[in-house]
Amino acid sequence: MRTRLTALIALLCLAVPGVSFAAGKVKLGFVNTITGAEAPIGENLTNGVTMAIEDLKKKGIEVDLVKEDDTGKPEKALSAFEKLATRDDVAGVVGPYTSACANAVASRADQYKVPLLVPVAAKEEITQKGYKFVYRLNAPADVYSSVILDTILALDKPKTIAYVYANTDFGISTVKTAKEYAARVGLKEVADEKYQKGAPDFRSTLSKIKGLSPDLVFMVSYEVDAITLMRQSKEIGLAPKAFLGAGAGFTTAQFLEQKEVSNLVFSSTQWTDDVNWPGAKDFYNRYKAKFGKEPTYHAACAYEAMRIMAETAAANGGDREKTRAGLRSGSWKGIMGDVKFTDYEKFTNQNRHEMLVQQIQAGKYETVSPAKYATKKPVYPFRWK
Amino acid sequence: MKSRAASAAGTVLLLAALAVLVAFPAFVSNPYALHIMILLFLATGQGEAWNIIGGYTGQYSVGHAAYFGAGAYGTLVLLQKWNIAPWYGAWAGVAVALLLSLLIGTICFRLRGPYFVLASIAVAEIVRLTVLNVPSVTNGAEGVLISDLPPFTIGGWVVTDFSTKVPFYYIALALAIVTVLATWAVQNSKLGYYFQAIREDQDAAHSLGISLNFYKNAALLISAFFTALAGVFYALYVRFIDPTTVLPLDLSVQIVLIAIIGGIGTIYGPMIGALVLIPLSEVLRSNVIADLLIKSGLVGVDSGLGIFLKGRLAQAHVLIYGILVVVVILFMPQGVLGFVRKLASRKEQG
Amino acid sequence: MVLVQALVSGILIGGVYALIGIGLTIIFGVMRVINFAHGELMMIGMYLTYFLFTLLHVDPFVSVLITIPIMFAFGAFLQKTVINRILGSLPQNQILLTIGLGLIMSNTVMLAFTSDYKILTTSYSSSSLHIAGISVSQPLAVSFAITVAITAALYWFLMKTDTGQAIRATAQDREAAQLMGINVRRMSILAFGIGASLAGTAGALISPTYYVFPQVGSAFTLKAFVITVLGGMGSVVGATLGGIIIGVVESVGAVTISSDWKDVLVFAIFLVVLLVKPSGLMGKSRM
Repeated sequence: MRTRLTALIALLCLAVPGVSFAAGKVKLGFVNTITGAEAPIGENLTNGVTMAIEDLKKKGIEVDLVKEDDTGKPEKALSAFEKLATRDDVAGVVGPYTSACANAVASRADQYKVPLLVPVAAKEEITQKGYKFVYRLNAPADVYSSVILDTILALDKPKTIAYVYANTDFGISTVKTAKEYAARVGLKEVADEKYQKGAPDFRSTLSKIKGLSPDLVFMVSYEVDAITLMRQSKEIGLAPKAFLGAGAGFTTAQFLEQKEVSNLVFSSTQWTDDVNWPGAKDFYNRYKAKFGKEPTYHAACAYEAMRIMAETAAANGGDREKTRAGLRSGSWKGIMGDVKFTDYEKFTNQNRHEMLVQQIQAGKYETVSPAKYATKKPVYPFRWK
Repeated sequence: MKSRAASAAGTVLLLAALAVLVAFPAFVSNPYALHIMILLFLATGQGEAWNIIGGYTGQYSVGHAAYFGAGAYGTLVLLQKWNIAPWYGAWAGVAVALLLSLLIGTICFRLRGPYFVLASIAVAEIVRLTVLNVPSVTNGAEGVLISDLPPFTIGGWVVTDFSTKVPFYYIALALAIVTVLATWAVQNSKLGYYFQAIREDQDAAHSLGISLNFYKNAALLISAFFTALAGVFYALYVRFIDPTTVLPLDLSVQIVLIAIIGGIGTIYGPMIGALVLIPLSEVLRSNVIADLLIKSGLVGVDSGLGIFLKGRLAQAHVLIYGILVVVVILFMPQGVLGFVRKLASRKEQG
Repeated sequence: MVLVQALVSGILIGGVYALIGIGLTIIFGVMRVINFAHGELMMIGMYLTYFLFTLLHVDPFVSVLITIPIMFAFGAFLQKTVINRILGSLPQNQILLTIGLGLIMSNTVMLAFTSDYKILTTSYSSSSLHIAGISVSQPLAVSFAITVAITAALYWFLMKTDTGQAIRATAQDREAAQLMGINVRRMSILAFGIGASLAGTAGALISPTYYVFPQVGSAFTLKAFVITVLGGMGSVVGATLGGIIIGVVESVGAVTISSDWKDVLVFAIFLVVLLVKPSGLMGKSRM
């Protein structure tokens, strides 16, 4: 006991910054939402990162990972990031999960000169401010809406569209881009309904929309709101030509399981398991075996972000500036397809990730667009079973 | 005699503590350490400000997030939309908070006890939902993000460009000190005497000719003023605000907790509350304990306990927080300060 | 047509709100404690229902029979061990204690079952009846019927039985009741037990059309406050009315005003009632 106590005290003294980097050993930070209302999706990121760390170990890269919980609150995320940057002396940080947290943390990455790789936050602004140290793997909010509208426009000439979405950062920024895109292609907006996340009753809103009989219903919802919305749409008998879901709640295994209401719903996603991106299927299988559930695109994004960050940091001996340069110049191929951080339009250090559109057909997510990745033809128009 | 010596010793101790705090950034440059200190000062300010209405006047507002948010939004919205420097915008934010407090006061002070608590929650929720629903002014759920603060200049002289945490440290410290001094001034004035009379017995105070409406509103006004200043500071320090960070019910509860855990109706209470809560929540959140236990070899990394600690303890911090609240309320109903005083007096007696 | 539809679904969902409100109002009536952990009690009821359904295949509506006694025991236990110790203490301490209890409940559940959303899928989760062009959610209609039955039974219990009258007497004047030889302690335990089981029942009834996760409670706690004040704190009939009014306001507000302002409307009504008639719609006749 006594020696242990001495060891503890010795460690307490040593717990001051001062890190040496052995070859293939690297210290990284991971900011995620582990508790709080966003925690259910955060868990997918944690699992993805856990798998990445294991795989990196097999490749000879030992990652000393410092996990931080931001509880979904920007000030906590900042506090976590500052701790990682100054007390833990990490070579780079992956995260945070939510748009609000990522947005706040990104504004400090340059100040501390710590490379930050945002795995899955959608808000466009994050990579539009010209930060040198901020990189983003996933496609931003505008792609969520354009890719799915393109899919429908290739099939038909719909005239009207209704929006139903969560009054959150993700909901609003995605619908904003959808509206711009819809205006460009001549779709007329007939309804714009924001709702408070987690509301139990959408029936009246949905019956109002039913009365306007739009061709398309575009929805942005977290997790289970998507299920509540679709259940009540069926109840009310709302039947547009297509239900379009932008990511999040429409791409989960739980949504898929609701066979009665989820059939034929389109959704945009960052990742599916049946694309020909190297290792995607294998990742799906191993993830399912390990955690007992299907990976969401969040898990895949987090996995790939951690892999890229760890490999880059290890190759550069944990040096922050060199790691940043490594992210800037490198390119990768993996479960998220080709990854390369470039500047285009208003974006900087943004991976021009190709998003996919999937549709639930016969109880399975099928990739239906873009054509080169498609496993099935889209079924259109929508009808209830 | 003894008490004068004690108070002299207290004054010396206080000045020494102050000197340490002022000198702190000269010796510690680690931004994380400064960050924790800043959070500590901010919490002290919030707790002291609430204490004026909650502790001294006995009106348990669980809606202080509204004033905090008003200060924060006033400052950042003016800066972002009209490029008005925060040292002017801040006063607009504070003015909004004061107007709000007058409005809320007129509505809610007609109610007593639990009804007042619920009304204060309702009003704060209305403020939050309104901010959420007028995106043209407030950016709604997307929040307001400021990348860089304009440097603070007097004449042509740049006082600070806010590139480090040191200026924030001193601003936060100053804010905390001013709030504490204001509480002290209130406590030792006629105003504070009236406040406490209202707390002890509203009807008796009223029959003594103390205008309940006037003094309750006065207390709320002072409280809202300092809460809004804390909000202004928060907004400039974090540079990102949205309705879920500066206006939620959680925040109102947090503010009340600081005062109650420490001990309400006293000057030191909220300081102690902040000293207990801020380091605790930071230690629990960042999972330092589990890391230390594992690294020291007390708990094996791959042992069941090790995996549990590393994987799950991080999730348990709110649980521990909840247990702490329950324990304090059950066993230290006067807060930590009251508990310590009780222990001390017991010792003295025998 | 849209309006009638909104009215119908508002009344049905209002039934569930009413149950939550009644539970809170009884607890407040007897003990003068505002229970900030009320939504968490409901959350526990939802988890019970979920596990009874997935593990033992008990239908959510049947499971109410099991949930009620379990939640009653849990509520009585909480009252006996914790709440009872702060009955005489300062109101702000009571509030914080129940907030602390809520945090403990939701985070214990999170540690035990992770923060995953649990979805209960029954064969009737999205079924509806169509009557004259109006769709009526089948599970909501059933839960409304159960709510009515429970409320009626509770009302009978409070009005007609000795124990019920003793509870009412305690609610009216605790000290007088004590002087009259009523075991006030026991009445408090009963009241908290009933309150908890009603919250749990509301959780069970909403489960087939909603979902469960550890933090689900807080939104309902706030709603329960509004309902209770609206009806008059301590009034069972008032809470029933309040629940239905809030259900209808939300539903009709969403189609006539907008879905994002409807919550403001709810709180605004709440404030107006507080100001104009702080004793609530049914304030005079406690219980």
